[in-house]
Amino acid sequence: MNAIVALCHFCELHGPRTLFCTEVLHSPLPQGAGSGDISGQNEQAEEEEGGIQMSSRIRSHSPAEGASADSSSPGPKKSDMCEGCRSLAGGHPGFVSHDKETSIKYVSHQHPNHPQLFSIVRQACVRSLSCEVCPGREGPIFFGDEQHGFVFSHTFFIKDSLARGFQRWYSIITIMMDRIYLINSWPFLLGKIRGIIDELQGKALKVFEAEQFGCPQRAQRMNTAFTPFLHQRNGNAARSLTSLTNDENLWACLHTSFAWLLKACGSRLTEKLLEGAPTEDTLVQMEKLADLQEESEGWDGSEEEEKPSSQPDVAEGQELSKCSPETSLMPDCNRWNVAHRRLSVFRSLRHMRQVLGASAFRMLAWHVLMGNQVIWKARDMDLVQSAFDVLRTMLPVGCVRIIPYSEQYEEAYRCNFLGLSPHVQIPSHILSSEFAVLVEVRAATRSTLYPTLLEDEQSLNKYEFVVTSGSPVAADRVGPTILNKIEAALTNQNLSVDVVDQCLVCLKEEWMNKVKVLFKFTKVDSRPKEDTQKLLSILGAAEEDNVKLLKFWMTGLSKTYKSHLMSTVRSPTSSESRN
Amino acid sequence: SWSSSEFDLNEIRLIVYQDCERRGRQVLFDSKAVRKIDEAVIQKMAEDAPVKTSVRTCQASSGNNSISSHNLSISVTQNVKEQIPKYQYTRPASDVNMLGEMMFGSVAMSYKGSTLKIHYIRSPPQLMISKVFSARVGSFSGSNNNLQDSFEYINQDPSLGKLSSNQNGKYFHILCVLQLCSSKLLQGVSEGGPLRLIRSASFFAAHSTPVDMPSRGQNEDRDSGIARSASLSSLLVTPFPSPSSSSSSSSSYQRRWLRSQTTSLENGIIPRCSESTSFNPSMVFLGVLAEIFLMKKIAISIIFSLPEKEDAQRNFQDFFFSHFPLFESHMNKLKYAIEKAMISCRKIAESSQRVQVYISRVMDALGEFSRITIWNLYSVPRIAEPVWLNMMSSTLEKNQLCQRFLKEFTFLIEQINKNQFFAALLTAVLTYHLAWVPTVMPVDHPPIKAFSEKRTSHFVNMLAKSHPYNPLWAQLGDLYGAIGSPVRLTRTVVVGKRKELVQRLLYVLTYFIRCSELQENQLTWSEAVGEEEQVLNGSKITTALEKGEIEESDYVVVTVKNEPALVPPILPPKNDRSKNHTIAEWVYNPKGTYPVPASSKEKKETIGKVSQNSETSVDCLTSTLHKGATDSGKRTVTDTGAVPYHFEEPSNLEDLTDVRKNKKQNDRKVEKQLSSRSSALPCPERSGHRSSHLEKVTFRIGSSASPESDLETRRREMEENLKVLRENPEVIHCASSSTNLTVDASQNQKESCEAASLPYSKHSICYAQISSCEGQGSMLNNQRMENTGTEVNSENTVPGELLLSVDNVETVTLPSIKETRTSCSGNLEGYSPGCVEVDSAVKKESLKLGAKDVPCGDARRKTPFRVEGDIPRNESSDSALGASDEEGDCCIPDEVRHDNVSKRLEEFAEVELPLPRSNTVSRQCVKNFGRSLLGGYCHTYVPDLVLHGVNNDEKLKQCLLADLLHAMHHPVLDEPIAEAVCIIADTDKWNVQVATSQRKMMDNMKLGKDVLVSSQVSSLLQSILQLYKLNLPADFCIMHLEDRLQEMYLKSKMLSEYLRGHTRVHIKELGIVLGIESNDLPLLAAIASTHSPYVAQILL
Repeated sequence: MNAIVALCHFCELHGPRTLFCTEVLHSPLPQGAGSGDISGQNEQAEEEEGGIQMSSRIRSHSPAEGASADSSSPGPKKSDMCEGCRSLAGGHPGFVSHDKETSIKYVSHQHPNHPQLFSIVRQACVRSLSCEVCPGREGPIFFGDEQHGFVFSHTFFIKDSLARGFQRWYSIITIMMDRIYLINSWPFLLGKIRGIIDELQGKALKVFEAEQFGCPQRAQRMNTAFTPFLHQRNGNAARSLTSLTNDENLWACLHTSFAWLLKACGSRLTEKLLEGAPTEDTLVQMEKLADLQEESEGWDGSEEEEKPSSQPDVAEGQELSKCSPETSLMPDCNRWNVAHRRLSVFRSLRHMRQVLGASAFRMLAWHVLMGNQVIWKARDMDLVQSAFDVLRTMLPVGCVRIIPYSEQYEEAYRCNFLGLSPHVQIPSHILSSEFAVLVEVRAATRSTLYPTLLEDEQSLNKYEFVVTSGSPVAADRVGPTILNKIEAALTNQNLSVDVVDQCLVCLKEEWMNKVKVLFKFTKVDSRPKEDTQKLLSILGAAEEDNVKLLKFWMTGLSKTYKSHLMSTVRSPTSSESRN
Repeated sequence: SWSSSEFDLNEIRLIVYQDCERRGRQVLFDSKAVRKIDEAVIQKMAEDAPVKTSVRTCQASSGNNSISSHNLSISVTQNVKEQIPKYQYTRPASDVNMLGEMMFGSVAMSYKGSTLKIHYIRSPPQLMISKVFSARVGSFSGSNNNLQDSFEYINQDPSLGKLSSNQNGKYFHILCVLQLCSSKLLQGVSEGGPLRLIRSASFFAAHSTPVDMPSRGQNEDRDSGIARSASLSSLLVTPFPSPSSSSSSSSSYQRRWLRSQTTSLENGIIPRCSESTSFNPSMVFLGVLAEIFLMKKIAISIIFSLPEKEDAQRNFQDFFFSHFPLFESHMNKLKYAIEKAMISCRKIAESSQRVQVYISRVMDALGEFSRITIWNLYSVPRIAEPVWLNMMSSTLEKNQLCQRFLKEFTFLIEQINKNQFFAALLTAVLTYHLAWVPTVMPVDHPPIKAFSEKRTSHFVNMLAKSHPYNPLWAQLGDLYGAIGSPVRLTRTVVVGKRKELVQRLLYVLTYFIRCSELQENQLTWSEAVGEEEQVLNGSKITTALEKGEIEESDYVVVTVKNEPALVPPILPPKNDRSKNHTIAEWVYNPKGTYPVPASSKEKKETIGKVSQNSETSVDCLTSTLHKGATDSGKRTVTDTGAVPYHFEEPSNLEDLTDVRKNKKQNDRKVEKQLSSRSSALPCPERSGHRSSHLEKVTFRIGSSASPESDLETRRREMEENLKVLRENPEVIHCASSSTNLTVDASQNQKESCEAASLPYSKHSICYAQISSCEGQGSMLNNQRMENTGTEVNSENTVPGELLLSVDNVETVTLPSIKETRTSCSGNLEGYSPGCVEVDSAVKKESLKLGAKDVPCGDARRKTPFRVEGDIPRNESSDSALGASDEEGDCCIPDEVRHDNVSKRLEEFAEVELPLPRSNTVSRQCVKNFGRSLLGGYCHTYVPDLVLHGVNNDEKLKQCLLADLLHAMHHPVLDEPIAEAVCIIADTDKWNVQVATSQRKMMDNMKLGKDVLVSSQVSSLLQSILQLYKLNLPADFCIMHLEDRLQEMYLKSKMLSEYLRGHTRVHIKELGIVLGIESNDLPLLAAIASTHSPYVAQILL
C-alpha cells in the first residue's frame, strides 16, 4: 500500500514530534512488465535485477536518521530532542523488511528522509496532535487535502507515572495520497491500529502500576504541591516510549507491526479480473511447442521412435522453435521470418499476388484455404520457404503442415505444403488431382516476363511461376467467402500491410468461431444432417466452398479446445470454463 | 448478495459554519435548529403576510445559459409558493460549538484548498464528514458570472472593491430590517433568542457580492471536454510499461498501474488537481470589509447518527467507508446547493423572505442529499444475481447459471427486438460500459491448461501484489465503463411500466456490464487464525489436555481467534551479511517478542473460562520476564499464539516426568500444595506465580530468554523457592537441578542431567521441527555459535536442537525452556502447531528416553564455555540498538555488538527484520460496487447506480442533465473524465437513447440521442438465438457469445490499425474490405479506444 505509517508523540517540551515512521518502497516497474514472459524462467533473474535496483534506491533513502551526526538530515537537531521525542538512538540505521514475493520493502526510520515526505509526515503529525480535534481525545479521525496528503490518525494516551496527568499523548497515523483508498480502509485500519494501541497501553499500564506500587506519584505530588510545575516537567519530559512500556525491542516490534499493517492493508482486498481466452492460433502453437518438447525428451531418453512418421512434425517443430524464442509465441511469427530472411523473395501475400498475378494467386489461395496440397517445385529453398511462410498466414496455425523441402514426394495427409526440388517426380494422379496445386518455379525465359515491381527484386526476375492444378478453379466460381475478403484486402493499396495482417487475424478468428460451432454440432453432439445444414446457413457458410473450408479448418482446432468440448459433454455438470 | 439494514434518514444533520479571522466562528446553518412549520400554520400566515415577489423574480430571470442559472430559474419558479415561511430557525444545538471545533480544528491552517475530514463520535455514535473550503475572496474579475445584474454588484466598484458610504448605510439598513423581520417571524419560538438568530442570519444580509460560477475554468469550453481529456489520457498512457508487447488486458492494467503511480508516496508526492477547492459564493463582505477579512473558511458537515445496534452500525459504517466516493460526490452536490441558496437569496430584498428562501433551499438540498444518497443508495433493491459476477465467483451450478441467463437472453432477443430495441440497447451498453473488452482480449501466453481454469489476469494479479492499488476504486471505474479514452462515465437506466420485463432486461445486462470480483483477504502471521487445520490442531490440544488436567481447553480455540496486533520482530535467517548477528538479541530477549497482552473484549471474556492451571502457567512466565510487573496475568493468558502451547505443555511435560519417575502424581495436588506454601512468602502475588510456576518445574529450566540483569533477583527468588521446594520432595528433584544451574553451572552436571534431560529432549525435537521447516533453527544455531565460540563452531553440523538445549543450559538463569519456546512460538509466526504436534509425538515416545538423553549430555559438555561467554553484561546504554539501559539488557556479548556497529558503519544499511510469513484467508467481499451499484427495479431514479430500472422517466427528465454535469465536474473516480453518459432504454416507447453531459438536448421530448444499432451486435444476437434454438447447450452458446465479442475486439484492432495511417475514414473501404459498417463504427471505435487512445482523436 502506498502509505506511510508513523507514530507521533506530543512532547511536553517540544510539542508534536514524529517518533517512528515506516515507509513502503515498491520496485520501480511492475512485475512482469517489459519482459512479456510469464513463465517462471525469467522471474528469478528479474527479481534479482529488481533487487539491485531496489537496494540502490534504498541507499538513497537511508542515511542515518534522527539525531545522528548527519547534519543534512531534515530531522530536528539533537538539541531539540529529548528522550521522549526520540525513537531510534542516534546512528541507528533504521529497520528494513523485504517482502520477497512482492519485492516491496518496508523501511523504518524516525523520519522519512525524503524532504517532501518529511514535511508531509511532519505536518500530519502536527495536525494529528495539535490541530485536529477528536472528541474524547482518544480515537480515530481522518483529515487531509490534496497538497499534504490524507491522514488516518488515531490518538491515544500512554500511562506515565511521571508525566503531567500521569499520561502522555501519542498518535499513530497513516498517510496516503489516495484518499479513497485510505477511507475505504478505515474499518480495517481502525481495528488494527486500535489493537496496537491496546497492546502498547497494556504494556505501559503494567509499568505504570509497578511504578505506582513502588512510589505512588500522586501522593508525592500532593506533598510537593508547591514545587513549580515547570520544573517537574522539565525533569520528567524525557522518558522514552521504550521505557514507558518496558520493552526495549519496541521499535523493532513497531517496525514489524507497521510493515505488517501496510502489507495486510494493501492486500486486504484483491480483485479477480478475467481476461480473454487465447485465440485458437495461440493455443495450437502452445500445443505444438509442448509436443516438441515432449518428443525431444523422448529422444533423449529412449530408443529412437519411428522416425519417418514424425518427420513433418519435426520440421514444423524446428520452425516453431526457431521462431518462438523471439516472438514468444506471437501468432504471427511469419513476420519475423519474413523480416529475417532478407534474401527471401515473398514479403507478403500482397507481394506474392503481384508476382504471381491475380488469377494464379487466386487459384493458389483457393487451394491453400481448402486444405489441398500445395506443392512448390523450385531450386531455391529460401524461395519456397518464403512462399510457405506467406501462404500459411491464410490458414489457422493448426491447419498448417509444412515439409519445406524434400527430395521425394510426400503424401497429402502428411503435409499440405510441400517443397520439392525440381527433379522430383510427382505421381501423375497427384498432378491430375483437383486436390492439389503445383507451383513450378522456373528460370525466366525472358527477363521482361515479369515486370520489375521494385528495384531490389532481382531475385524474382530470375523466375517465372507456373501454377497448375488438376481442376483449375473456374473463374466464375464464387469461392469461399474468406478468399474474396482476402483478395479485396490485398487489392486495396490503401490498406497497409499491418492492416491486412489484422484483417487476416480477424477473418481467421471469425471463421474459426464458425468451425468451433460446427465441430460441436457434428463431432461432439453428432447432430443429423438437416440440422447441420440449418446451422451452416445460420453461420453464413452454407455454400459448398465454405463448407469445405470449414471441414478442413476443423482439423486445425486445438486439442485443448476439442478435449474441453468433449469433456463438458461427458460431464454436463462440470463448470463452464470460459466465463 | 446485497443487504442493508434499516437506516433512519432523519438522522442526517447538516451544519454549515464559517470561520473568519476577525469575527470568529459562526454557525450559518444547522439543520437541527430548523423546524418545519405546520401546514396549517403556514396557511394561516399566508393570509396575514402579503406577497412580495416582484423584485426577486425579475432579477432571477436574467440568468444566462450556465448550469446554475438554469437550475436556479427552475427553483426560483418553484419558489413562488414558498413566500410564506415554512421553517423556523431556532437556537443551534448545544454541541454546535464542539462540532465547529472539530470541523475547523483548534489551530487554523493556512492551507487554502479544501480539506476533508471524518470524525467518529462515540456517544451517541455518529459519523461526521466535513469539508472545509476557503471562501473565494475578491473574485471580482470573474466576470463570467451570471448574476451581474444583482443590485449589489451594480453599485460596486469592481477594481477597488470599495464601498460607498451609501452602501454602508444600506448594509446596515438591511441588517436592521432583517432583525426586525426575523424577530417577528419567530415570535412563536420562545426559546430561540431572536438576537442569536440574527447573528447567524446576518450573513444573508451581508453576503451580497457577485459570484463566479462553480468549476468553470476561464477558457474551458464545455464542448471541448473530449479533446482535452483525450489528449490528457493519451499523455498519461504513453509512458506506461506494458506487461507485454501485446495489449492483452492492458487497459485494465494501465488504469491500475497509473493509479498506483499517481498516488505514490515513494518519491515525494505528485500534486494533483482536485475538485473545486473553494467555496464559491464568495463570502466577501461589502467592500472594505472584504479586505479585512481575507482569511475566511466555510465548513460543511454532514453528521450521520449511527444506529445503536452494533450490527446495524457496522453495516452502515462498512457501507459508508466502502462507498465513500459516492458520498463525497453527493456532498459536493450539497455544497453546490448551499452556494446556490446563498446566491439566490441574496437577490431577495426582503430579509425575512431571504432567510426563508435560504433555509428552505438548504433544507431541500439536505432532503435531496439524504433521500438520494443515503436512503436510495442504501435501500434501493439490488439485482440479486448479477450474471457476470456470479459466473465468475461461483464455480458450482455454473451450468444452471448459463442456462438461466441464456433463456432470458434469447427471450429478449426474440420478444423485444422490435425496432431493434434490444440490439440498440446492447450496442449502447457495449459501446459505453467498456469493461467487457479486457475480458475478451485474447491472451498471448496462456498456461497450457488455462482452458479449464478461470482466466484471471496474471499481470493484474502481479501488479496488485507489487504495487497495491485500490481494487474498490478499480471496480467502480470498470462498472462505469471508464476505461476508454476519452474517459467516459456511463450508467444505464431501463424505463418501463412492466416491471417484470424491465427486471429481465436488467438481469441480462448484468452479463455485459462487467467488473472484477473482489475478495477480502485476512492476513495472519500467527498461523492460528481461521484455518481449519488450526482448528484441528486445537482439537488435538483439547484431547491431550483432557488427558492431563485442563478441562476447559475448548476455549483454546476461541482465544486463538485473534492474533496480537503487535507483530513481534524475528531474527532473520543469517545467510547474508548478518553473520555477525546484528540483532541476535531478539531471539534471546522475549520481552519485545513475548506475547503481548490481549486487548479485545472477547478475549477477556474467555479468560474466566480458561483453566486456572494454564492461566498461572502463562502468568508466571510473564512475571519472570517482566520483573516488577505485577498482576495482569489475565491479559497475558488470553494472548494467542502462545496459549495453546502453554496448555499443551504442562500435561506433556508432566507425562514425561510421570513416566520417568513412574509416578501418577496429580498435578492439581501439587499445585495446591505449592500455592499454599508460597502464600506464606513475603510477596504473595509474585510468589504465587512463582510457585505455581514451579509446580510445572519443567517450564523453568534453562531459559536463554531471561535478561541477565534479572539474574540476581532470580537467584534470590530461586533460593526462596528452593526452600519451599525442599519441603516437597517430588518437585524438588527437578527444581534443585535448575537452581544448581543458576548458582553454578559447573556443578549442575549430575543433578541437572536427570531433570533436564527430559525437557531438553522434548524441546530439541520441537526445535528440530522448526529448523526443518523454517530454517530458523540454523539461525538459532548461529547465534549460539557466536556465544560459545570456536569450539562450538566445529559443531556446525550438530543439529539445531542440540545447540539449543546447550544454550538453555548456558544461559543459566534457570527458568524455562518454555520461555524460549514461547518466544519462538510468538516470534516465528506461531510455530506452536508444529511444536504441539511434536509434543504429542514426544508423548508417544516418552518411553524411549534413552535416546533423548543425548542432547543433555551434549549440553553438559558445553556448559562451561557457555557460562563464560554469557557473563559479560552490556554496559553501554548508547548502544545502537538498545534504547535504554534502565531495564534488563539483552545477553549479547560485547564483541557482537561492536561488530554490529562497525558493520553498520561500513554498510550503513538498515537492520533487516524479516516479516513473518503470512497466511491468507480469503472470502468473497460483498460490500463492493459490483454488488451495490447494479440496481433492480427502483421506485425512483437513482443517479449513482450503474444500472437500474424505473417506472417512468419523469424524474429523469427533471434532473438527468444536472446529474450528468455534476458527474462530469465531480467525478467519483477522483480522476478527470471527459463525459458523463446515461443510456436510457425505454421499454414503453421502445427506444434507446444516450444522454450526455456534452450536449444539451434541445428537444424536450427526448432525453438523448438515439442509438445507432450496430450490425455486428444484431448479427451476434441473431446467431445466438439461432444456436439456442438449435438446442446447442447453454454453456456452449455463451462460449460462442464470448468468441463473438472477441471478434469485435479483433475488429477494433483492425480499425485502430487502419486509422493509424489515415486521418480520414473511408466508410466504403471499411465496409467492403474490412466488413465494418458505418453503424458499427461508434462501437468499434469505443472498443478501440481502450487499447489505442489515438482512435478517439481521429474519429471524434
